[in-house]
Amino acid sequence: MATGTGNREPQSFERRADERGSGGFSSETVTTLAIFGLCVLLLLASRFISPAFGSLSHLQTILILSSFLIVAGFGQGMVIMTGGLDLSIASIITLGGVACTTLGHMGSLMAIPLALVICAGVGLVSGFGVAKLRIPPFIMTMAMGVIVYSACLGYTKGSPWGSAPEAAITLMKSDLLGLPLAVYFVVAFALFGWFLQKRTSFGRRVQAVGSNARAAQLAGVRAARVTMLVYAASAASAGLVGVMLAGYADGATLRMGESYLLTSIAAVVIGGSSILGGAGTFLGTVGGAILLTTLGTIIQSLGVDEGWRTIIEGMIIVIALLLLRDQLYTKIRMMTSALPGR
Amino acid sequence: MTQWKTTLRRSALGALGLLASLGLAAGAAQAKTADGKYKIYLSLSYSGNAWQSEAANIVKALAKTPPYDTMVDLEEVISGTDPQAQISAYESMIAAGADGVVSFPISATALNRTIHRGCQQGVLFFMYDATVTEPCAYNVSYITSGFGENSAQALVNAMGGKGKIFLSRGVPGNSVDKRHTDGAMSIFDKYPNIEVVAEYYSYWDDRTTQQETAKALAAHPDVDGIWAQAGEYGAIQALFDAGDRLVPMTGENSNGFRLALANPDYQARGLKGVSSGSPPAQSGYAFKLMMEILTGKRQLEPQSIQYPLPWVPADEVTLCKGDRIENGCNAFPEDKVPSSFVTEVFNPDLLPELSLASALDGKQTEGATIQPLPTEVTKAPPEPGINCQKCEPPADHFALTKIKPAM
Amino acid sequence: MNTATQTADAAAATSPSRQRPPLRRILSNGAVIIGLVYLTLYGIYALNEPSALTVYSFSSLMNNAAPLALAAAGVTVVILSRGFDLSVAGVISLTNVLMAVHPMEGAAGGLTSLALCLVLGGAIGAINGILVSYVKLQSIASTLGVMIVCQGAALLILDAPGGYVSDWISYGLTDVALEVLPISGLILLLVACLWGLFLRTDLAVGIYAVGADENAALLSGVRVRRVRLAAYILAGALYGFAGYMLSAQTATGNPNAGEPFILLAFAAAAIGGTSFAGGQGGIVGSMIGAATLMLLQKVLFSAGVSSFYTGLFQGVILIAAILFSGMLTTISNKGRAQ
Repeated sequence: MATGTGNREPQSFERRADERGSGGFSSETVTTLAIFGLCVLLLLASRFISPAFGSLSHLQTILILSSFLIVAGFGQGMVIMTGGLDLSIASIITLGGVACTTLGHMGSLMAIPLALVICAGVGLVSGFGVAKLRIPPFIMTMAMGVIVYSACLGYTKGSPWGSAPEAAITLMKSDLLGLPLAVYFVVAFALFGWFLQKRTSFGRRVQAVGSNARAAQLAGVRAARVTMLVYAASAASAGLVGVMLAGYADGATLRMGESYLLTSIAAVVIGGSSILGGAGTFLGTVGGAILLTTLGTIIQSLGVDEGWRTIIEGMIIVIALLLLRDQLYTKIRMMTSALPGR
Repeated sequence: MTQWKTTLRRSALGALGLLASLGLAAGAAQAKTADGKYKIYLSLSYSGNAWQSEAANIVKALAKTPPYDTMVDLEEVISGTDPQAQISAYESMIAAGADGVVSFPISATALNRTIHRGCQQGVLFFMYDATVTEPCAYNVSYITSGFGENSAQALVNAMGGKGKIFLSRGVPGNSVDKRHTDGAMSIFDKYPNIEVVAEYYSYWDDRTTQQETAKALAAHPDVDGIWAQAGEYGAIQALFDAGDRLVPMTGENSNGFRLALANPDYQARGLKGVSSGSPPAQSGYAFKLMMEILTGKRQLEPQSIQYPLPWVPADEVTLCKGDRIENGCNAFPEDKVPSSFVTEVFNPDLLPELSLASALDGKQTEGATIQPLPTEVTKAPPEPGINCQKCEPPADHFALTKIKPAM
Repeated sequence: MNTATQTADAAAATSPSRQRPPLRRILSNGAVIIGLVYLTLYGIYALNEPSALTVYSFSSLMNNAAPLALAAAGVTVVILSRGFDLSVAGVISLTNVLMAVHPMEGAAGGLTSLALCLVLGGAIGAINGILVSYVKLQSIASTLGVMIVCQGAALLILDAPGGYVSDWISYGLTDVALEVLPISGLILLLVACLWGLFLRTDLAVGIYAVGADENAALLSGVRVRRVRLAAYILAGALYGFAGYMLSAQTATGNPNAGEPFILLAFAAAAIGGTSFAGGQGGIVGSMIGAATLMLLQKVLFSAGVSSFYTGLFQGVILIAAILFSGMLTTISNKGRAQ
């Protein structure tokens, strides 16, 4: 019976193989394009709600606010790609923030890498539990999250001290050529993530482990090692979110990561990744994160009760899933294959 | 399935019987106040921000101050944000023979039954800041003192009675947030030219406030004022992120906000307002009241006691030179405490024993001894859902106490 | 192994099978393992805190555990069918505020409230089930959406904690029967018994089969979609029941009441021996798992663990419990292979 990592329905494996054979758009590309299209539509429509929406400054606000979710989604997406789930993200964001501010006196060059290494170390432990001890990812990361949070609480005695390293403040607060530095960072990070996932052997191995751990093993992929690295990378990216948040608000608090746990999963899934692993693309996650943040700005400015706003938020997640589900791809392919000459 | 369940039950009973004999022998040494000390529990809901840890540190510092240091056995318990966890903690405290529980309650109503049972066993329950509606518990809180309406009036005055405002609220579905906001709206509703253009929940947290305010600013870059609950320093940072313009705003007691209010450069850019709201010092007052009752120095029936509302307009912000509150100072220099530090940790009349180290690290002040409290306590007005269950608010609910309408 | 026997085996793994040696069979059962863990912890608790053995302590533990146990039972049903259901938090909040806003007095009122909670939970479960099994949305994200909608609805019904729950529910259900039996414990026992009966139905076999191998289940004639839908409806009704028991315990309404349950319910299911890969486990283990999590708080309190580090111990114990049960399962499976 299946335990631990890399467990998914066999039909989608066949589907993927089938998809590679046929030329034209892949399902991933369609989903990614659709989600960015949805973002643009939303931005245009939002002008009806407030004239300030859809402007360049609105766009900048969205990009800066979504940068946290994009980086967190990168790690979460990789873990989900291997068929797992990372519930320690919220606590590790806090750990990253607390580590870089309390070590801030050492200077950016020491504090930030050290914070990321600490976080990656925690991730490695989660990865070890999942890959070697065969503990279900859900439980392993949840338990690690509780442990890390408690350690942060004990270490800071409830109130973190220190201020963010200079480099983190510069990243989140300064402008370059008229645009916030964070905007360049988001674009660079998205490209980096896409490159890592699609153009490196590590990325392909992660996908292989997610598609079918046993087959990957037979093909010479050391599945356990890949899994551990994935959890370490997820923790490091969560730690980076902590550093960025510390820079954004100049300081850390213990609950700074809380809101990114469920939203990071939502961003990844809305971005077209399968929660069962093996399928997904980081650019989709980027789109998912931007979509959720855009929605956040729009929903907030609706002049209705919080209850209604919450209801709308939930409905939109379901609607986004409805619009972006797999059948969409199938339909488009049916349409294109019905065209003469194909 | 049912069969093994019965087997399990049966063996469970056997095991329990065995353990019973062992447990009784081991537990006898832990009887109530065996060493003649008062067994006091400090029950926190959530030690995740500066406010909570300062409030806890104040109680810890007082418990170490003579003569309490030889009289009190203080134990701290953190229960997260789950009322059920706090119910369980209270039950454990009652079972462990507590004399008193000083607590920040997670829910105003869910703990009532457990508290009631504790009262019957002679445990004193003192709630600080947040309150419970159980009549046998003591509440020590500023909530009824009118933070919402007074700060709203201050904002209206600062804005000249007109303009667009944001409401940066606390936690959705929370009774304290509702009380503050109802109070504030009672004022804003009187001014037809005040328009609430965005209302969002910031969870009393700087970072969330900053992000939510940034979203609101994207829709309304032309905002004229911000009414904020705790987390206000984040709203200032969001204004900075959006540009150089600042607007009048009111908020709670973070050191960062007080320093900003007093900063002439920021004032020139348009910042004015009042710092008010929840003081961590309430916990110390609650603890001292409880000790006076336990030691027989005070007779006081269970009731809701009002803690005075801190009120510091921009022109009254004064920096403290040393580590104590002297000469009416009410903020600390930037290098002494983080911006999120909540300044209202002292009270020269009620808590002269405290110094900065008390609030930051829970240390007692050298040479200080516990001073008696003033005999009079201020009784809080009834506030349905806050300190009583089925009651009516007073006729002058939301009456202004700190400021007069300027227009 | 052909698909048909595989499915049968998946079902047999949880319902009492007759072939395996009894000791190994018992030890591989998640519910028994967690039951042993529970007893051990209770022993430690009683050693530190003699009052643990009083009827009052036991009944307050049961009262504390009942809502989480029912919530964990609900998520387990969905996990067994290899799905994920986050709507648990939303349903609990929603039923809790409804009960506090519309209290119904007396036994008849209490039972009517129960029926309403079950129906409401079941209806929300049906929405989840349709989205997941017919529209084919990913369960984790679509149930997240449903959860958020429910929370919004709870906020609309009650915008701050308040209201009151009828005395029959708040006192009656937290009472002790015949001086020794906590009512809430009896309710949990009843649910466990009903589950035992349910295991004999085709639907239960179907849920396990779908969770173990959807294709195989389909080939052997299980109506996969319908079975999934039923699993979500059953789960929703159990969340409704959890909301009902929570209302009995807190005697009041809170629009955020369900929030703490979201992770705890899954943790309870996991330490109760339910596999997140589907098809393996059962709700009895999850219910004892829930009781264990609540007991853990008491044990840590009585052991005087520094409050800052309580979480650290909880996390470590969670991992240890999983490792322990994994070890026993491996041992027993080895025995089975021989």
